[in-house]
Parts: sequence; C-alpha cells; structure tokens
Amino acid sequence: MKISLQWLRELVAWEDSPADLAARLTAAGLNVEGLSEFALTWPGVKVARVLECNRHPNADKLTLCKVDDGSGKTYQIVCGAPNVRAGLHVLLATVGAELPGGVRIEAANIRGIESRGMICSGAELGLSDDEAGIMELADAPAAGTPADELFGCRDTVLDIEVTPNRPDWLSHLGVAREVAALYGTKLQPPRVLKPTPGGTLGWKVEVEDFHDCPRYIAHGADNVAVGPSPAWLQNRLRAIGQRPINNVVDITNFVLFELGQPLHAFDRDLLGGDVITVRRAGRKQTVTMLDDVSRQIVADDLIIADGDGPVALAGVMGLASSQVTAGTTRLLLESAFFCPSLIRQSSRRLGLVSESSYRFEREADWSMVRFAAHRALYLLQELAGATIIGDAIDRADPDRQVPPDLALRVHQVNRILGTDLSLEQTADVLRALGLKVQPLSSQIEAKTVNLMVQVPTFRRDLKLEVDLIEEIARLHGYDRGTRGCGSPALTCRRRQRRDEVNRLLRIWLPALGYHEIVSSSFSGRHQLAALQLTAGDLRSECLQVLNPHHGRETLLRTSLVPGFVDAARRNLHAGAQRPVRLFQLGRVFWPAGRKTAGTRHAQEHLLPEEPRLLQIGIAGGEGAGYGGIPLELLELKGLATELAALLGIPLSLRPAGREPFLADGLQWEILDSSGEICGSLGRLKPETAAALDVDANIALLELRLDRLDCTRPAIHYEQFSRFPAAKRDLSLLVPSGVTFQQVEETIRGAVGNGLAHLELFDIYTGTGLPAGTCAYGIRLKFRSQHGSLTGTIVDETIQRILRDLASALQVYPRA
Amino acid sequence: MHEAIARLRAEGLARIDQAATNEALEAVRLALLGRKGELTRLLRGLVDLEPAQRPAVGAALNELKLEFGAALGRRQSELAEHHTAAAVCDLTLPGLPPVVLGTAHPLPSVLEEICDIFYGMGYDRDEGPEVELEYYNFTALNFPPDHPARDLQDTFFLGTDILLRTQTSPVQVRTMERRSPPLAYVFPGRVYRNENADASHSSEFFQIEGLRVDRDISLVDLRETVAAFVGSFFGGERPTRFRPHYFPFTEPSVEVDMQCMKCGGRGCGICGQSGWLEIMGAGMVHPNVFKAVGYPDDAYTGFAFGMGIDRLAMLKYGIDDIRLFYENDLRFLRQFRGVL
Ligand SMILES: [Zn+2]
Repeated sequence: MKISLQWLRELVAWEDSPADLAARLTAAGLNVEGLSEFALTWPGVKVARVLECNRHPNADKLTLCKVDDGSGKTYQIVCGAPNVRAGLHVLLATVGAELPGGVRIEAANIRGIESRGMICSGAELGLSDDEAGIMELADAPAAGTPADELFGCRDTVLDIEVTPNRPDWLSHLGVAREVAALYGTKLQPPRVLKPTPGGTLGWKVEVEDFHDCPRYIAHGADNVAVGPSPAWLQNRLRAIGQRPINNVVDITNFVLFELGQPLHAFDRDLLGGDVITVRRAGRKQTVTMLDDVSRQIVADDLIIADGDGPVALAGVMGLASSQVTAGTTRLLLESAFFCPSLIRQSSRRLGLVSESSYRFEREADWSMVRFAAHRALYLLQELAGATIIGDAIDRADPDRQVPPDLALRVHQVNRILGTDLSLEQTADVLRALGLKVQPLSSQIEAKTVNLMVQVPTFRRDLKLEVDLIEEIARLHGYDRGTRGCGSPALTCRRRQRRDEVNRLLRIWLPALGYHEIVSSSFSGRHQLAALQLTAGDLRSECLQVLNPHHGRETLLRTSLVPGFVDAARRNLHAGAQRPVRLFQLGRVFWPAGRKTAGTRHAQEHLLPEEPRLLQIGIAGGEGAGYGGIPLELLELKGLATELAALLGIPLSLRPAGREPFLADGLQWEILDSSGEICGSLGRLKPETAAALDVDANIALLELRLDRLDCTRPAIHYEQFSRFPAAKRDLSLLVPSGVTFQQVEETIRGAVGNGLAHLELFDIYTGTGLPAGTCAYGIRLKFRSQHGSLTGTIVDETIQRILRDLASALQVYPRA
Repeated sequence: MHEAIARLRAEGLARIDQAATNEALEAVRLALLGRKGELTRLLRGLVDLEPAQRPAVGAALNELKLEFGAALGRRQSELAEHHTAAAVCDLTLPGLPPVVLGTAHPLPSVLEEICDIFYGMGYDRDEGPEVELEYYNFTALNFPPDHPARDLQDTFFLGTDILLRTQTSPVQVRTMERRSPPLAYVFPGRVYRNENADASHSSEFFQIEGLRVDRDISLVDLRETVAAFVGSFFGGERPTRFRPHYFPFTEPSVEVDMQCMKCGGRGCGICGQSGWLEIMGAGMVHPNVFKAVGYPDDAYTGFAFGMGIDRLAMLKYGIDDIRLFYENDLRFLRQFRGVL
C-alpha cells in the first residue's frame, strides 16, 4: 500500500521526519518497505499568452506565434498544433527547459524562422495523454506563472506492507488513525456531503440474499460534467502510482485510497430498466469488463444486474457496457459491503485482483459504506459540478449482528506479555487506538474481567481478548515485560537415536570421501519411467501436484535415484574428479505404502508413506575390481559391512536380481537381522542411466533407515586374548561354481572358535591352473584365549580345514 | 641347469649385499634382472630345454627373481637408512593424498547446529509428514477458510484435502494433540511454496519450528529464548528487535530482526540499508490453536517461532543465491569441508 505523506497530512498532523515516521510505523506493525520522493516539476516551463498567430511562410501546417511570457519581452515561437490561436493561455517551455523524458529545449531554426521555445501539449508535460494539441489553460493564469505552481507536486511516498488481518490499513485514513495513536494527535476526517431529502432517483435495488451482500447503497447524481480532474487530485493519484482518467473515475479511486471503501459509478443512461439486482449470475456468460478484456462469469458469481443483465462482477470490476465516458451526465453511484469469500472466489477463479476485490475479500468496513458514498458525493459536487439527488437507497441486512463487546482481563494481559500493567495503563493504550473502553472491576486477578471494550467497525480483526492484548503489546512495546514463566531452565536433552544415526552418517561418509547432497522432492514422469518399475511396486504410484506454478507436470519422488543421477551428471559434466562419491538422506513419498494407523485425524489415510532413505553412490568409476565385479561396487559392498558396524546392527547382503533399474548379476539385497529386505546395492543398468541422461557407471547403495531398528544394544566389554596370533596362508584351487562364501563358511566351520581373522588377499585366474578353476590366496590368523598356539595345533587345524574343503567343495590346495 | 641357478643365486645375493651406493645397487640390478641381465638370459634359455624340464626350471627361476627383488629392496632401504643424514630430499614434493575428504551439506549442517543449540536449552525434537492434511497445515492453525491469510503461502495442492506443507507449524499441532504441557520442542524439516525460484526463493526449502507451552509462558520467555539462540548461532551480543506482524496461529505475532552482522546497524546492501535483518517469525500461541488440539481454555500459554534454515545458512556463510543449495555442485559443497 502506497501512502502519500501530503495526503496523510490532510487527515492527521504529526511532527517528525519521514524517516522517523517510517521507523515508528514499522515498530507499530506497518512495515515500511520503501520510502521514496515523488516530484512533478518542469523547470523553465511557464504560462505565456499568445498575442498573435501568423502562418509560417515556408510551411502550411506550422504557425508563427508571438507570445508574452510575463517578463515584458515577447518571443517568436513556431508551433505545429492545430488549436493554437491568439488570446490563448498556454504553457511555454523556454530555452533551457527540460521536459519529462529528458527533452531539452533549445533555440531552433525551423524552416528558416527562429523559434525560442516550445508551446507544450499535455502529453509533452506528462500531465495527460493528449498529444493532439497544446494545453489550453482555463481561468487565464497570469503570464510568467511557473508551471510548477499550477500543476507541480512534491511528495514523499511510503510503501507499507499490510498483513491480511488489517484491511483498515489499506487506506490513508486507516494509516492516519495509527499516526494519531502514535503521536497523540487528532484525526481530521475529510469533508462529506449528506444529501438533503428531495428529488427522485427513480431506481430500486433488490438484494437477492443479504448473506451475499449485507449492504448496498445507491446514490444518484445529475448534470455531471466529465472532464479532467484538478491538478491536486491528479497528483495525489500519481504519487501513489495511479493514472488519472477523468474526474468521475478519479473521484471513486481517490475515495478508495483515502477511505478504503471501493465505489463504482455507472452511467445511469446506459442502464436498462429501473431495478438494480444484486444476485448470483445463475449461468455462464462471457462479458467485457472495464479493462476491455472478455471474461467468463459463472453461475455462482455474485453480480450487479440491471434490467438487461450483468453490469458488474460484484466487488471485482464493472462491465464496459455501463462505464462512465466523456458524454456521461447522470450517475448511479454504488457503495456496498459484499461477502468476502464470494468476492475472493470470483477474483481467484479469474486471476483478476483489483484494488476493489483486494479490499472486499479482506472485509469492508460497515460504517464506511455510507461515509465513503457521502465523501464521493461531496467531491462530485465540488469537482464535477454534479447535482446530488436527495433520494438514496440503503439496503442493509436487518438481521445483521453487531459484534459483541470484548471482555479484557488485565491479569491475562500481564500473564501473556510478562508485564505489570495497571487497569488505567491498559485502558489508556486502548483509548489511544480509538476504542471505547468501559472499566468494570479494578481487582486484577485470574478470572476477573476488568474492561469491556467496544470494537469499532473498522477493526474487524479484533475478535478475541487476545487480539486486544496484541494491540497493547504493539503500542506499549514488546520489550517492556520483565516476567518470564519463572520455572528454571528445562532439563537438558540429548539427541534421539534416529538423529544420532544421521549425525554418525554425516560425519563418517564425508570422512570416506562422500559428499552429501540435498535433492529435490519433485520428479518428472520420464524420470520415474526410466526406473522401469513393475506395476505392483510401491514406487510406481506417485502423487501429483494439481497446481504447479510453471504448468509442467510435477510429481513427488518415489525414489532417490533420479535425484542422485542429476547431481552426478551435473558434477561429471563440470569436470569433477572421477569417481564422484555422493550420499543423501531423504524422504520419498509412496501413496500406495503403509498407512499410519491409530492417528487422530480421520483423513490420515489420505497421506502417503514417507520412508526415510539413505543412499550412497559412486558415479564415473572405471576401476576393474576383481572376480568380475567393478571396483566401485566392491567399495560399496565393503562400505555396507562397515555401515552395519557403525549403526550397531547386523546387515547381510544376498546376491539377488530384484531391482529393475540395477544390472542383472551385479546387485544384492540388503537384509536386516530378521531377514527382511531393507535395502539394495548394485550397478545402475546402462539403459536406465541412458534414460536418465547420464553416460557413466553408477553404483548405488540404498537403505531404508526408517525400517531399521538402530537402537544400539548396550555395549558390554569382553575380555580379549593377549596371546600372539598364529598366521597361515592357504593357496586354494577353487572350481568354478563354488563361491567364496561357501569356502569361508567351510573354513569357519572347520576351525570353530579360534579363528581371529580370515582375509582373501589374492585371486589368481591366469594361466597355469587346471581348467575351470581359480586360485584364492587366503590368510588365516588363529588365536586362543588360553595361551600361545603351538605349531602342532595350528597344523592340525589346517589339515582339518583342507580335509573339509576337499570333501565338501572339492577345493584343494594348489601344488 | 640347477647348478647354474644355484651359482647365480649365491653370486647375485653377494653382489647385492656388497653394493655400497644406490648407483652401485642399480648397476647390480641391471646386471641381474635387466634386459641383458644374467637371470633374464637364463629365462630366455628356457625355450631350448626339453619341454618336460621347463616347468620346474621356470618355477625355480621365477622364485629366484622374487628373491633377488626382495634382496634389492632390502638393500635399498638399508642404504637409505645410512644415507638419511646426507641425502638431499625435495621436501616440497606433494604428499600422497589420503581419501579425499567429502562434505556434509551446509543445509542439514545448519539444521543440526540449530537443533544442538535447542537441545542445550532443554528442547526435544520431532518431525512430521511433508505431505500434510489441509487441516493441520491451515485449519487447526487458525487460518480462516477461504481467507486471504491463506495467500501468504502459495500452496502446492495434491488433492482436495492434502497438500505439501507450506510450513513446519503443523507439527506443533500434531505434537500438542499427542502430549500435554509442559512442552519444549523443535520441529525441523522441508517445506514447500508454489512460487517461481529466484536468488532468494526456492519452491522447496527448510524450516525449523520451535514450540514451548506451559502454565505461564510469556512474551518475555520468547524474547530471552530468541536472544539466547541468536547469541549462540551468530555469536556475540547481537541486538534483536520485535516488530508486530500477523500469523494466524500466534497472537501477538512478531517478526524478529537482528542487527545486521555486516554493517553493525549502519545500513548496507545486505540489510537493504535498514541496519536490520529479518531472521524469524514468532509469537504467543493463539488460543484457537490450543482449542483445536483440545487443551482446556486458559490453562496454558506458550510461544512458537519459525525460521528459514536456508536463510540462516545464507546469512552465516554469505551465500547470495538459495538455488546453490539444491544444485549439489561439488565446487560449492567442497567449501564446507570440515563443517558438521
Ligand atoms: Zn547491513
């Protein structure tokens, strides 16, 4: 909301600089977001009188004028305007003057004749759109009078952020009320005209439903002379960024910005019949509005109709058919109170927010409906020569309830604000705001009502006691309280395990070279399609945004994979060092997932399951690895084992082929201690990568953190053996088809408890081996709790291992 | 053949042990294992042997090669040890990198940092769903139906009654529905606004909500809590001010400004010349919210506050474009190495 300080000064007095005023308003909740100077000034432009006009000897369309600029000298000016003639009072831009748009006036030779200045049109001065001819000044102002004196303006304009609860601040009067309260001065209400009975309007108003339109006032004005508004009014509007149009339209706009009440003026001669009806539109129809745009009105829209049909979309905008034009002489002036939610629905549906709808949807001021009409009548009479018809219509809902007075407990004020205000102090603050206060009890205690407060119609935000408490805080100051709850500091808390796990991961993974990413919750259809999920997969069904701002289809992600690939692609393209290691902790949204049970709200089942996932991945890896497994997958597989240790939970990996986007034969399922699948590990299929627009190897590990019981079991110290370990290396020939896991299990089975360490340190698949075998180098360490192991015992154990390997797996030592 | 190998072994090992300098040792290496070395010569000679002999001899030669290699290595380190004092090493050569350090993302880092500050003040933490019922996001928070207050937050709708939460405040309601005061909680999480992205707006971002409810919590408690947080997060004594504002679920409602850290209040580009930076919205819990969660009238008072984590992170690290957080560019992320 733009507030002109010149305008404000007509309504209230204050002594302060604009900057200090802005600071005080901001502190009171009218957040001043901008303070700017507005100036309309034309240095070097002054009134001149045209003494004589002659035709230019060398050009048909130019006139040679002799003008008097009041200095006693006369000037010769060449003028091209068709309306120039002797005796006119005009505005002359003298040599050296600068016009809006940076045009500088210099002495010129026009077709052989010297011209010492320019006679200006309204458009050249920025005063009107009229560029057809020069401005003809009325009332013969004295030659030499500066243009600034007639039309100029200097103003300071505040840009105030108005929150939706304070529609009263959407006007100069509302801000003036606040200034009066802040500076302890009095409001000077603007002049109005109360029509005296007499005359006949000849129109009736029918309100179909007072719920939709609790109040509708109509006035008539005759003999209206439509023309430009006086300079002061135009400048008021210009200062707050509005364009003057004509005196009638300007007056309704002026009243809107002065008092906050939208008005509408119809040309009465363009209305059909003699009844104005406020009703629902009833059917769809296309209409042309004041801004010359065709729009569709629907059945539920509230409209103003004459005998022929709609003439205005109530509270939003009038239709072009009955608008005031240059030829209008008889007006019907509307001032109304419309149901806020109806106006809001129409305005939102059409995407049409007018100054009028913006105020109506925040609720009009009941008393202002009439006052604003009277203000407009006064201005119409003064500025448009209108004759006001005494006969007026005021249709108001007879059942309208006056909001009840509010009870205020000073004890509650002090309880919430931490203050020690007295009854008198409390009452004074409220009175300063223009509220009527009636003291009751002076006993300040928990349940005693001390004041009854009558809420004026312009404060429709004051509905509860607590709203009054806010007013007191706002004016008394937020830093004046001293009493807190008195209870000592709360007991210290610590992280829950879930958050502790996040913390551990966010320390550990970066230490291993992984970068944390935060990817978007949104996803596109093609990204989801790239994953080739089967129909039964929880992730194949997703939620969709119904009203995306950019109009593109916007889905909620059901998988973290596309987000990971996006980040990987970006960094690989940017030339990041390969491989790129990333991880993320994030939620996905599964509408088909498990519903939260036993919750309070009946609609809870509409919400999706929101599992929390951990995803770790490596992009752009080229390493060969061993056993046919790419290096980055081996890294992630090793990481999974350590991850289990980090989280204090057993995790196991099972070779599997379930994830449709991971390569067959290069993926594992991750199982928790009860054998439930809680994650996956594998390499992204090349076709999936291609569909997600990345050309690199990507290995991914994904874990459902929300499904894991990460409660770490209490750690109990166990005695460890201080005796030295005995080391033995085995070189084994392993036939294909026998897995490392089988070998390991057989060895562990053969040894029993004493095996401290088992490590595969070499895989050899080269020449010199029997066909269909490979060689494993396995290092074993044995250790006992009871003493040093003798060579004999270790040798016996090795024999046992070799025997078991041979019998169970046909694995033999390499010769 | 085996004799030749045995001879070479004895001779070779002796020569290695006798080499007195690195240069001499290198000469021995070439003489034994180089392209024209003696062992190499024997290996080449394998082809001239009977096929039956080849594996055994080959294996023996290979074993000898390994033995020579080990001996050379051993002798080299012996020489290096003797030499250390006199050796001229280029100590400016780069070290071998360990695993190159990754980074924690600054947004969750700032989120955790804020939570830590509040753990210290006795707050618990909880989270709620990001896809939320219209009821929890608006109605229970005292947003009147069909009221312009709902325009304060452009909403992504997913259905008639479900939406992407526009604020973390619904978690207040969910928590109060389940628990009775005294309560002290923070609720961090991702929120969504249906608006176009620019340098200071993102359609998804992070917020943290705080809630404290007890019998007689006052605005003074809110002020002290804000001051303690600001001092801890931004460091030092930083003046704050409360400006009246409007949020449907608090009354009185305020916006909290902190004196600009860049200019100390004199006015600069960061603070739009005002000397103040807006850091959070806050207020006393509205009685209608208590009513919605079923608390008895007048039994409790409380305060709530909400902060944009992205904004705080931008202020803390001087980041001028919110979109950087969601691009995940390593050139951005790497700047936060060592930050937890
Ligand atoms: Zn600053």
